[in-house]
Amino acid sequence: MTAGDLVTAEHLSKWYGQVIGLNDVSVTVPAGITGLLGPNGAGKSTLMKLVTGQLKPSKGSLTVLGEPIWRNPALYRRIGFCPEQDAFYDRMTGLEWVTALVRLNGATDALAGAMAGRALEMVELTDAAHKKIGAYSKGMRQRVKMAQALAHDPDLLILDEPLAGMDPIARRKTIRMIKDWGRAGKGVIVSSHILHEIESMTANILLINQGRILAEGNVHQIRDLIDEHPHTVHVRADQTRALAREFLGHDDVLSLKFEEGAVVVQTGRPDAFYTRLTDLAASGEHGAIHEVTSPDDNLQAVFQYLVKS
Amino acid sequence: MTQPARPAEGAPGLLSSAGRVFDLSLGQMLWSRRSVFLGVLLGGPVLLASALRIAATLYASGLKINGVQAGGSAIFGMMIWLLYLRFIVPVLGVFYGTSLIADEVDDKTITYLFTRPIPRSAVLLGKYFAYLVCTVLLVLPSVMLVFFLVVPTGQGAIAGAFPSLVADLGMLAIGLAAYGAVFALVGTTLRRPLVLGLVFAFGWEPAVLLFPGYLKRLTVAYYLQALVRHEMPQDSAVSMLMQVFREVPTVSTSLLCLAVIVGLTLWLAGRAVEEREYVLEQ
Amino acid sequence: MPIHDQGYRRYGGDKTRGGTGWIVITRAGIRTFFAKRAFLGLLLVSWFPFFVRAVQIYAATNLPQAAFLAPTPETFRQFLDQQQIFVFFVTVYVGAGLIANDRRANALQIYLSKPLTRAEYVFGKLAILMAFLALVTWLPAIVLLIVQISFAGNFTFFKNNIFLFPAITVFSFVQVTMVATAMLALSSLSKSSRYVGILYAAVIFFTQAIYGVLYAVTRSTSLSWISFSANLSQIGDVIFRQPLKYDTPWPVSLMMIAGLIVISGVILERRVRGVEVVA
Repeated sequence: MTAGDLVTAEHLSKWYGQVIGLNDVSVTVPAGITGLLGPNGAGKSTLMKLVTGQLKPSKGSLTVLGEPIWRNPALYRRIGFCPEQDAFYDRMTGLEWVTALVRLNGATDALAGAMAGRALEMVELTDAAHKKIGAYSKGMRQRVKMAQALAHDPDLLILDEPLAGMDPIARRKTIRMIKDWGRAGKGVIVSSHILHEIESMTANILLINQGRILAEGNVHQIRDLIDEHPHTVHVRADQTRALAREFLGHDDVLSLKFEEGAVVVQTGRPDAFYTRLTDLAASGEHGAIHEVTSPDDNLQAVFQYLVKS
Repeated sequence: MTQPARPAEGAPGLLSSAGRVFDLSLGQMLWSRRSVFLGVLLGGPVLLASALRIAATLYASGLKINGVQAGGSAIFGMMIWLLYLRFIVPVLGVFYGTSLIADEVDDKTITYLFTRPIPRSAVLLGKYFAYLVCTVLLVLPSVMLVFFLVVPTGQGAIAGAFPSLVADLGMLAIGLAAYGAVFALVGTTLRRPLVLGLVFAFGWEPAVLLFPGYLKRLTVAYYLQALVRHEMPQDSAVSMLMQVFREVPTVSTSLLCLAVIVGLTLWLAGRAVEEREYVLEQ
Repeated sequence: MPIHDQGYRRYGGDKTRGGTGWIVITRAGIRTFFAKRAFLGLLLVSWFPFFVRAVQIYAATNLPQAAFLAPTPETFRQFLDQQQIFVFFVTVYVGAGLIANDRRANALQIYLSKPLTRAEYVFGKLAILMAFLALVTWLPAIVLLIVQISFAGNFTFFKNNIFLFPAITVFSFVQVTMVATAMLALSSLSKSSRYVGILYAAVIFFTQAIYGVLYAVTRSTSLSWISFSANLSQIGDVIFRQPLKYDTPWPVSLMMIAGLIVISGVILERRVRGVEVVA
C-alpha cells in the first residue's frame, strides 16, 4: 500500500446470511481512475457498498483514503458517491435537491446553492435546474445524480454504473468529465458491466467475478497474466486451407475455424505461434497473408478469458 | 473544468446535522400522499363535530351523555379521549414513526443521506423532528375546529374552556412525541415493524390498561392519560373496566416518564440506525 | 437465409389449464408465508384461545364441579369474537403486501402477460388471505366442536345444536370474505405494504371510534352500521341465534358488509391492470 492509494482491502469478505457477496478479497486501488468490471451478480455492488460505508465488512479490513470507512461519517467530506439506483425526491427541483444534499456536507445555505449551481453546470443541467426531478428524462436524472456526487469537490468520486440510460452524446460528455476529474488529480472508481465504457475511461481495471477479484492493474499487464489461456488469432490470407494444414502440424494450435477469407486459430503458446506466422508470411510459402489481428487485445476478450477460466 | 469550492472543514454536529435533515424532510413529509390521507382522516372528527353542532342547533333540548344533558366541553372531552387519544395519536405515531427510515430505504434514497459527513442518528433525529412538526400541524387544526364547533353547544362557553384546549393541545403534542419515538425504535430495529407497532398500539396498550398492577406502566397511554383533564368516557364495558383499574400518576411523574420514554427510545433508535446495514432491494 | 421476427409475440399455445392459474399464485403465496417464522409464531398465538376453550370443555365434561363451564352455542360465538384480534393481525401481516408488493416490483405486468386473467390473479391472491384467515377462524371453531364431541363421548350437544356447524361456516365465510376483499382492495391502492396496513387499521378503528362517540352522545346503538366491526358482530349474532347487541336492523348491517365487498370488487377491477393508464 502506498500513501496515494484510494482503497485498500485485506481479506475482505461480505456475506448476506448464507450467501457470499464478496469472498476474501485483497486488493489495492491506486490513485487515478480505476474501472470496476464484472457481470451482474459478480459482487461489484457489494464492493461498492463496502467502499462507500453502506455495508460493514463481515471479515477483513477496508480502508478508503487511508481510513476505515464503516461508521466514519467524517470521511464522506472527501468522497462523492453516485449510486446505481434511479431514486430521487421527485417533487424537488434539481437545484433544490443538490443544494439540500450539499448542505449536509456542512456548507452554508449561500455556499451550498452556489456549489450546487456549479455542479449542475458541470453536468450541463443548468437549464433544467429549476425543473422538478420527476420531470427529468433518464439521462438527466443520471446527470443530476452525478452532480450531487461531485458538488462538494470530493477527493474520491465513486460512480456506480454512471452511464446507464444516457444518450450517446451525454455519455461522451460524461466520459470526458470523468477523465478530466482524473487528470485534475482526483481519484475515481467507476463500475460498469459494459466493457467498452470502462475501456474508454481508463486502462486501469479491476475484474471481479463470483465475489472474487479475477485480475487487477493495467489492461495490458492483465493480458500478459493470461497468456496461458487460449489466444485467438484472426489471419486473413489468400490460401487459408493451406495455412490451416500448416498450423495443424504444431501442438500449440488448439482449434481452427474458417471464416470468409480468413482462418481463426486458437493457440496455447501465442509467442511461438506469432514467430512461425512471421516466418510463413516472409517466405510466402502458402500465399499472401494480408492481416493478422487478435481480438484478445480488446478488453471484452480479456474479461471473457478470465471468466471462463 | 470549473470545479466547485469545497465547504469549510469541520463536519456539522449532531443537532446541526439533524436540523439540515429536518429542512430536507419537512416539505417531503407535509406534501406527501400519506399526509393528505391523514388530513382527510382528521377531517372525520371535524365532520362529526359539525353534525353534532347542527343537531344541537336543530334540537333545542341539546345533546345528552348517558341520558344527562351534556355541555359542549364534556362532548369535546369525550372526543379527545375516544378519537384523538385512543385512535389518532397512536395511528399517526405508527404510521410516521415506523416509516422515518423505512420510507427512505423503500424509496432507495437513504444512500444519499448515509453517504454524507453526518452521523446516521442525525438523519433519524432530523426526520423525527420533521414528523413531530408535520403531525402537530395536521392534528392541532383539527382539534381546534372540533373545539370551536362543539364547545358552544349546550350553553358551553369557549372562553371558559379555552385553557382546557391549550392543555389538550399540549397533551396531544406530547403524545405524538412519545408514540413517534417509540415507533421510531420499532421501525429501526425490525424488518416488518408495522404488525408489531399495531400490536403495541391496539393490542398491548388497551389490554394491559385493563389489569391492575405494574404492567400498565409499560405503556405510553398510562402516562399520557394522566395529562388529560377530561373525564374518561364510559362508552363500553371495556372502558368501564379500564376506569375501575385506573391509576393516575401525577402530572409531573407522567411528564418525567414520557420524557424518559422519548429520550431512551430515540437514543436506542439512533444506535440501531448507526449499527444497521441497509441492503436496498435491487 | 430466413429472417425471423424478433419482436414481441403474444402467447399462441394452448391454455390447457384455463381457469386454474390462480392455484399457482395461491400455492406460492401460502408457501411463502409458511416459510416465515414470525408468521408461524403469529398463527401459533392465534390458536391459544382454542386451547383455553378446549381445557374449559374438558373440565366441563369431566369434572362435575366445573359443569357451569359447559359449552353453549354462545361459547362458539364468543370464541369467534375473540379471534377477531388475530383476524386483524393476520390480515395486516398477510394481506397488506399481496398486491402492493407486486405493484412495487412491477410484477403485475408480468403476471398478466402470462395466460392468466385478472380475475384469476385477484382470486389467487384472495385465496391466500382467505386460507390463512380460515385457519384462525373456521378451523379452530370446527375443531373445538369436534373436541366437545370427543370429550363428551356423545353427540347430544352436537345434535341439540345442529345449526352450529353451518353457523360457524357461514359466519367465518362472511367475516373472511369481507375482511379479505377489503384488504385486497386497499392493497391494490398503494405500492407500500406499510401504508396499506395502516390504511386498513385506520378504516377498522376509525369507524369504531366514530361510532363510540355517537353512541356516547346519543346512547343509541342504532348508528352501529357506521362501524364495520359492529356490523360483523350483528350478523354473527343473527347467524348464531343470539340476542342482537345493536338496534341497527341486521339487514342493514348485512347491506353494509355487502356494500363493502362490492366497493372492494370495483376497486380491484379498476386497479388490477397490467398497464396503468394515466389520464
